[in-house]
Amino acid sequence: MNIIGPDALVFGVDDVEACSQYVTDYGLEPKGNGRFEALDGTAVIVLPKDDPTLPAPLATGTSLRKTVYGVADQQTLDAIAAELGKDREVKQLDDGSLEAVDDLGFVLGFQVTVRKALSLAAEVVNAPGSSALRPVNTVGVQKEASPKPRSLSHVVYFVPDFAKAEAFYADRLGFVTTDRFHHVGPFMRPAGTDDHHTLFFIQTPPHMQGIEHFTFHMGGPTEVMQAGTNMVNKGYQSFWGPGRHLFGSNWFWYFKSPFGCNMEYDADMDLHDDNWTARELPPGADNSQAFLFQYREKWAPMGPPPGK
Amino acid sequence: MRQTVPLCHLDDLADGSAKGFDPQHQGSDTVFIVRSGDKVFAYEDKCPHYRGQTSLPWRKDAYLDPFGETIVCAAHGAHFEIATGLCTAGPCLGESLTRVPLQIRDDGCVLAELNDNNVGGESP
Repeated sequence: MNIIGPDALVFGVDDVEACSQYVTDYGLEPKGNGRFEALDGTAVIVLPKDDPTLPAPLATGTSLRKTVYGVADQQTLDAIAAELGKDREVKQLDDGSLEAVDDLGFVLGFQVTVRKALSLAAEVVNAPGSSALRPVNTVGVQKEASPKPRSLSHVVYFVPDFAKAEAFYADRLGFVTTDRFHHVGPFMRPAGTDDHHTLFFIQTPPHMQGIEHFTFHMGGPTEVMQAGTNMVNKGYQSFWGPGRHLFGSNWFWYFKSPFGCNMEYDADMDLHDDNWTARELPPGADNSQAFLFQYREKWAPMGPPPGK
Repeated sequence: MRQTVPLCHLDDLADGSAKGFDPQHQGSDTVFIVRSGDKVFAYEDKCPHYRGQTSLPWRKDAYLDPFGETIVCAAHGAHFEIATGLCTAGPCLGESLTRVPLQIRDDGCVLAELNDNNVGGESP
């Protein structure tokens, strides 16, 4: 199944204004009708929780109402319709997309992807010995910058049965497990991307089922730091980070949000193909990150002039 | 060891609003107050989920839902009763926020009784 990754996350929220302002400050571009896009056209869609076009919510009240996957072509859509149609209703929506419910109750959409091909340089670092350097006389950082999220990276679900979730996405939709935390859940990627994960499950009691966080890719670690610093300066509160994960190697910075879940910036995630063998580790702080920092206000070691 | 620290004046708290405070200068808010009619309730700004390692709001003072009816942790959407601190939905269902005792002086000054050991630090 040539599923590429999430094209959009659809939310039903209490406070549309706060959530809209939040994702705008996060760096997504408002496109109208509650749609906020990254540079490649992947999006978050913010609607009032009682909007009649939204699928029914999970009993837990999570604000995530639908995860829309982008697929390579109509042939893939037809294959998904045939596969999922074996044992569940697959709706054909007016826009040509499919809608079905996974084995845990999450509503999924499938559409021929809206992702636009990006042609943007990644952050390039200078290091002795490396042949890939920034051009001479090109400075690496600006004092002020508002880097934009490039592409919807991944979504993380709290689930009551990660094995059931993993089996559904692997067996029915062709996702591959890249790594896993013992007794917590797997990191998975669909067949149409090399990204370490577009989906991760965290085992929880049933009353927690829902979205844990969502993430967009940035152009590099400096963009994660500057975008996160901009969020702090706008009054948003950090949840975790900045730091760098071990599984996936992605730089991260998480913020709490009015969606009732966390929002992350990530950058420089590992790429894998079918030659990769999934690793497995116990969960916990030591295996979650290579390092972790905490924001502080700008400061410099400036005192009075010498001799005064 | 406990200390009594002034946080604000009653008039600083609008009905149906919440406000965070950093009385021990930790660098971020560690206590918040919710005003509901004539009553005020104060809790440590620590979600019981993850054993108090995260504060609640997504931006300063954003402790309540848009209707001012319930306390919300923005990290994972836990809901808490304003009057009791009991989690009624979300990750820490059945657990409670830690109450901070308040004193309200005749002149309207609101003081918190803080425990040196558990405000701004790690809860058990």
